[in-house]
Parts: sequence; structure tokens; C-alpha cells
Amino acid sequence: MATTHLKEEELRESLKRCPEKAIEAAIAFNETRDPDLVPVIVMGIIERFVEPDVRPLLRENDDKARLLEDLGVDSLLMVEIVILVEETLSIHIENEELRTLRTVGDIKAYLDAKIKGLPIPSNKNILKFEEVAAVMPHQPPFLFLQEARINGTTAEGSYHISGNEAFLEGHFKDNPVFPASLMLEALGQLAVLLMLKTSGDAFGGPVKPDSIYFVSCDGVRCHKMCKPQDVLQMKVSLKKVHAPLAQFEGTILCHGSKVAKAEEISLTFELEREPEDSLRS
Amino acid sequence: MRDVVVTGIGLVTCLGRSKEAVGQRLRRMEHGFVRYQPFIEDERIPISVAAPVPEFDTTSTDPEDWTFPPEIRFRLEQLRGLSPNALYAHFALSRALADAGLEAEQVSDPRTGLYTASSGSAVMTHFHLDRMKKYGPLRCSPLGIVASTAGTLNFNLAAAYHVRGSTCGYVSACASSGHALGFAWDEIALNRQDRMLVVGAEDFTLETIVPFSSMRVLSLSEDPDSASRPFDRNRDGFVGTGGSVALILEAAEVAEKRGARVYAHFKGWGQATDGYHVAASHPDGEGLARAMHLAMDTAGWQPGEVDYVNAHATATPAGDISECRALRKVFGASGSPGISSTKALTGHALSLSSIMEASFCLLAMDQDFTPGSAHITELDPETEGLRILTESIPQAPTRVLSNSSGFGGVNVVLAMEKA
Repeated sequence: MATTHLKEEELRESLKRCPEKAIEAAIAFNETRDPDLVPVIVMGIIERFVEPDVRPLLRENDDKARLLEDLGVDSLLMVEIVILVEETLSIHIENEELRTLRTVGDIKAYLDAKIKGLPIPSNKNILKFEEVAAVMPHQPPFLFLQEARINGTTAEGSYHISGNEAFLEGHFKDNPVFPASLMLEALGQLAVLLMLKTSGDAFGGPVKPDSIYFVSCDGVRCHKMCKPQDVLQMKVSLKKVHAPLAQFEGTILCHGSKVAKAEEISLTFELEREPEDSLRS
Repeated sequence: MRDVVVTGIGLVTCLGRSKEAVGQRLRRMEHGFVRYQPFIEDERIPISVAAPVPEFDTTSTDPEDWTFPPEIRFRLEQLRGLSPNALYAHFALSRALADAGLEAEQVSDPRTGLYTASSGSAVMTHFHLDRMKKYGPLRCSPLGIVASTAGTLNFNLAAAYHVRGSTCGYVSACASSGHALGFAWDEIALNRQDRMLVVGAEDFTLETIVPFSSMRVLSLSEDPDSASRPFDRNRDGFVGTGGSVALILEAAEVAEKRGARVYAHFKGWGQATDGYHVAASHPDGEGLARAMHLAMDTAGWQPGEVDYVNAHATATPAGDISECRALRKVFGASGSPGISSTKALTGHALSLSSIMEASFCLLAMDQDFTPGSAHITELDPETEGLRILTESIPQAPTRVLSNSSGFGGVNVVLAMEKA
């Protein structure tokens, strides 16, 4: 009993700036090790470290909220969160395991598996820049994708505007603005990546990388300008396939607000090997 | 060589934070000392008096517990990378930049640099290392290093203000911020930079001050009204303080072009080392005398043209004598300028003291007074031939030297002239 009480005091001290319900949950977890308590504890710890203005977002309990882009949790803050989570839950988290955690949902799933002793869910469908560049027909300096995640028929990708892009010198003079035409290009590139890397069979077979070309685009609207150091957060979803055309919808966000939308991007493509029946006809 | 001027002052001192209030307290010789409870509570600590920094409480090792004026709001990850001295420095620099009328883009400019001086943070270093030894390095704050080491000022301020010019921190004990100012003068005079932000800061913590007890250089007096008495025959050591001061230096032509208000011309500086002892200054003030000559040479002054010296004099028995001898050596033939030690009012701010005293000289020139040397009841016979100002004078000095000396026998002298 005495040790429990001591641990309770320590927990209260370590978690002193967390919401009360997280502290209560941590004290209960310390006795029961009930995995269902973990989300409340972890969300409380994250809440304690993020800026007050993003706390409402966290309270919406949106598993898709991104740690860096939406909550401002950079790698150093992440370490602070991890230390307190480790201390509170008496677990050990490997650096390697941290690297793939991108969203609040990722963290919850990871810790749930960890506490229950289940295999750690991996985020291996995240493509790093090297992997993106390896499959894309586009290459620097005309590749506007740095990291992407393919999930069935949707793809998310990001591009950090470094400010060193040559075209920014002229677009515009002394006023670097990322061109709207290139935002559309970037969305198109993400669609290309989706076509090349999707694991499903939405296109009728593997798509030939050097066969994909732009056809048309409808319903394009830009809402905000992006400047050096901004990160374009792109998302494209496949709308329909009508070979040799594929149609996508794409959006770009930056700092959580909408930057551009394209209702319909059409690309033409060929398959690596035409289906048997089409050869016959 | 380009002319250098001072265009901004930011103060976080035991005498206050506004230029007017600090100037008035210097003029009236009102000190900033109190009987400091944490010293009194520990019976092993032999000292009682200190000069805390009003409006700031950084007693806790958790920055989220600190209290400070509401003018600046820190993001959490910013706050957790701060030491007490870096916290004060944020306030001092923000005031100095506002005082100089500088905008963010003028600060974040390749021709604007940042030189700083602090000895790091003993209390943060101790706290983080203690935690590391107890729980292992992976359970320690990743910003512990940033908050602890001697570079904490330049790390934090360069990031916060997006500084893009020269950045460096100087560590030369009690002459540190004099070096930062001196080398900042070089940067502008040699046309490497147009503008330098110079910031000195020191923790006001038990951990910064009390270790000097072991050297027996702190005043044992229990009376805040007389504990710090440089040049007095019965002085018994220095009293500790902390805080931060920021000054903005600019090339005269740059300041003129943007119509900046000029506090004074920074005419140059000199440095020389005693080559004598790790802690004690040369008994005859040999290095300090040479540093004063070098500063006057750079400024193009003769000794007879100097009308005020802000002495380093900390009120240690040996240190003050050594400085008196240096001053006699330099000014013996030409006649003594007015001399005072403002440490009688503030105590010794260690790394911060040189720039703090430079700012006091600027306030004196700006507000038309020359600060007196407080708390002298009987002058030390070693001051013979020197015009120690036992009272303030209602006139601004025109040509000023400000002396600083530190461990290792280092001496830095700054030369400033009324605008």
C-alpha cells in the first residue's frame, strides 16, 4: 500500500500539468494495467505539451490529427512526450518505433499494441523521398513530392518549399510565391505515384511508368498562396477509371487551411501488359 | 575604420528595467540589495545579502514554474530551452530592439549579428546532470543542454530573432560581456557587419553566487545598506546579482540613414592580460593599465581628456587596490578623472557586469549625471591621488572609460563618448 501511495505521489508530480482525468487514469493504470485507460493518459500528456491554441483540436479526439503539421509536435517535443509516457506507463519505447508515428491515431494504435504485447503496427506504406524518386518518371528539379503514403485508392503526400527552387527567382521578382500551375502539377505527380504504387487492382493491372500523361483538369480553385518554408499537404483520391483514362480529385492544405482544390484531374495511362481479353478483341 | 554608435538599451537589473528608473537610482545612489532568504536559511552559507532581479522568480528548476513580466509569451518548447539568464536576456533584447526602433527584418538580416556573454547556467547544468545520473540520459529533457551550457544565450536568441549575421558567445569570466561589446565594435568598425546586438546575462541563483564563498571573496555583511562598499577602507568582498543588459551597436552611417536616436559614440576598446595568477589580479594593476591605454589609443584620446571612469572595483580587498594602482599609473600625470564603482549599488553581476556598467555610463551621458560611488565612510588610503566620486554629480561625463577584469588576469576597457 505504501509503495502504491508513493507511486501515486510521483505520478501526480510528473503529470502535474496534465488534465486531471489523465492523472486519475494514470493512477488507475498503475494498479490495473488496463489498456483501455491508455488513450486518455496519452492524450492528456500530449495536451500538456502542445500550444493552447491546438488543444481544442486534440479534444475532438481526431485520430487523423497529424503530430507535426496540425499539433506542432516537433521531434524534440516528441521526446518530451515519450519520456513522460514511458515514465507513466512504465514501458520502454525504441527510437526506431517512434519514427513511423505520424498521427494521433498512430500513437494510440502503437501504445495499445505495446501494452497488450501484440505486434507493433507498422507504417511501411509511407514512402520516403528516395523511394518516391525511385519509382517516379519525374525527377528533381521537377519532382514536387517528398514523402507520401498510399492507402488503397487515396494517396497523401507532402512537399516542403525550400525557397531554393530556381523558378521562385522569377515567380515573382523579390516575391517568391509557389506557382499555382505547379500546385496542380504536384497533385498530378501524387496521382502518378498512386497509380504506380497502389497495391489494389483499381487500374486493371500494373501501370507502365512512362505511359502516364496529363489530359485535362476541371474545377481548379486556389484559395491561398504558399511561400518558402511552407509545406504543401496534398491528397488525391481516385474517382473513376475508364481506361485509358483515370480521374482523380485532389486537395492541398497548408498549416491546416485549404490552399487549392482540383475537382477532376484526368491522366491517360497504359498497363504494363494489356489484359488478355482486350488483346483478343 | 567606421564609427560605431549605440542606438538601443534594454535593461533587466536589480535596479529595475526602465532606463529612467535605473538612471534615477544611480543618480540618487539607491542600491538594489536585500537580505536574501535562501542564503539566510542555510546555516552553512556565510553570506546574507544579494541583489535579486525584481519581477522575475526563477527559483524552480522547472521553467514552467517561473514567473516573469507578461510582455513576452514563450512557446513551451522555447521556455524549456531557457536558463534564468536566457529568460532575462529575452526581455533585455526585446526592450533594446524596441528602444532602437528596429523591425524584425532589420534584425534578421545578414548584416546584423549577435554577440553574447554568460557563464551558462550552473543551476540548470546541475539539475539536468543530476537527473541524467538518476534516470539515465534517455529520460532527460532534450533541451537540457541548450538551457545549460555557456552558449545558451546565443542559441536561444539567434533562433528566436532569426539572426543571420555573425553569432558568438564570449567567456572570459567577469570581463565576458566587455569582450562581446569589444568584438562587436570590431565587426562594425571593420565593415563586416552594420549592426550588432550585444547581450550579457547572468543567472541570479544561489548556484551562481554562493560558490564564490569558498574563495572568501563575498561580503559577509548582514546589512544591505552597506554590504557593498568598493574603495572603502573596511570593504570585505562583493555582493552577487544577476540579470541582463542588451545594447544595440550600429555603424554611425547606418544609424544616421535610418534616423536612429544615438546614445553615444562607442569609440573603441582595449584588452590586456596580467600574466600573473588564475584568480587574483596583478597587485599593481599592470594588465588593466595597459588595457586602459589601448582603449584610449583606439579612441584617439589622451588620459587628460577622460572625465569619468566606471571602475571594475568589486569591493574585494585586493582587487580594489590593484585597480587603484592601475588608475594612478594611467592618470597620475594628467590628473584624475571622476571615478566610481556602481557595484556599490548593484553588486557584482559577473559575466553581465561589463555591459551593465557600460549601459550605466550611457544612461549617465543621456540623463546628465555622473554616478557616485556609494557606501564609502572612509576612503581606502590606496585611493590617494584619485578623484573617487563619493556623491553623484549633476553633469554628464563626455569621455568615459569602463573597466572590467576577470579570472585569469583578463582586463577589458571600453571607451565611450557623449553624442
